[in-house]
Amino acid sequence: MAILTPAQIDALGELGNIGASHAATTLSQMLMGQIEMTVPSVEIVDLADIYKHVTDDLSALVIFEMQGEIEHGGYVIFLMPLSSAMRMTNTMLGMTDEEREINEMDESALNEIGNIMVSAFLDATAELLGLVMLPSPPILVIDMGHAAIEQLLAEVAMDVNEVVFFHTKLVCDQYAINGDLLMLPEMTTLARILEMMDQLLKSHI
Amino acid sequence: MDVNLSRSDPKAIMIGIGDYHVGVEPMTSIGLGSCIGLILHDTRLGIGGMAHIMLPESGGKRDRPGKYADTAIEVLMKELTAKGCSKKTLQAKLVGGAQMFANFSGNLSIGLRNIEAIKMYLKNYEIRITGEDIGGNKGRTVTYCAANGFIVRVRRADGACSEI
Repeated sequence: MAILTPAQIDALGELGNIGASHAATTLSQMLMGQIEMTVPSVEIVDLADIYKHVTDDLSALVIFEMQGEIEHGGYVIFLMPLSSAMRMTNTMLGMTDEEREINEMDESALNEIGNIMVSAFLDATAELLGLVMLPSPPILVIDMGHAAIEQLLAEVAMDVNEVVFFHTKLVCDQYAINGDLLMLPEMTTLARILEMMDQLLKSHI
Repeated sequence: MDVNLSRSDPKAIMIGIGDYHVGVEPMTSIGLGSCIGLILHDTRLGIGGMAHIMLPESGGKRDRPGKYADTAIEVLMKELTAKGCSKKTLQAKLVGGAQMFANFSGNLSIGLRNIEAIKMYLKNYEIRITGEDIGGNKGRTVTYCAANGFIVRVRRADGACSEI
């Protein structure tokens, strides 16, 4: 795999920052609460070290494939501890019981929250790059985060041992909710995004 | 709070995706989804190895032996034999190979393909499978310590634990 230059990592981070800010704004509107967002990190992570980034704790993951002008572009994932996911749907659905079992209503709420956030994320990044990126219909997984990610890695890292791992943390103190926005681009997509960013940077010099 | 087995033993060697380890120390692979934790154990010497296998076939790639079923079994066998283990006293246990969700690409479940490949290669090596917790659609964390005999502990996301 082509190792990214520091300038490319910065550029990707900035791209992700714009996307994640838009996603955070939509979440803040849906929850009617303030969302804090960490500066996105872009890291090249060895497969053997993925466990340092995604745990085996019980989580809710809303997974999207990036589609549109780029086919099989990789994945965008909104990952939350299950307890946070429950507080989030409770907040939205006007409920308070955190100990109840997750039900169909929660599931469709989580899919919808994910959908709105990830659409905003992709819209903002795509607009900057000047290409169409659309999210696939969401897939919701309630299980170990690491276990769900493995299946995505089996698709994107068939021929490589390192993946580019984009990560932002979103926190809403008011409702004690936190989640992670992750992006795992397919290698060919990544190459194309980098090329477009290079052109974008050159045209601004 | 449920007891987290993988973190209750901080000394356990963490075997990440595509990694493997041979020895007597406690070892663990967390969050097995479509991947498989393959454990080979020598009942006579009390040593063994674990690999965190991600894909069924290496297609000739040698750079990450633990990542593929064929090369993982090969490298575990090589290192265990070097430590004096023999085929006759080696046994295998398999954990993982779930299909966590329906693939976007519509491809055949990678978990099932991993299971099939590993079983085929173990058969070729004439290694007996004495335990498995495979398939389904749930993630698993596995821990194993060769020094304590061939006991493999499996934990699910909901905290439920079992031994195979």
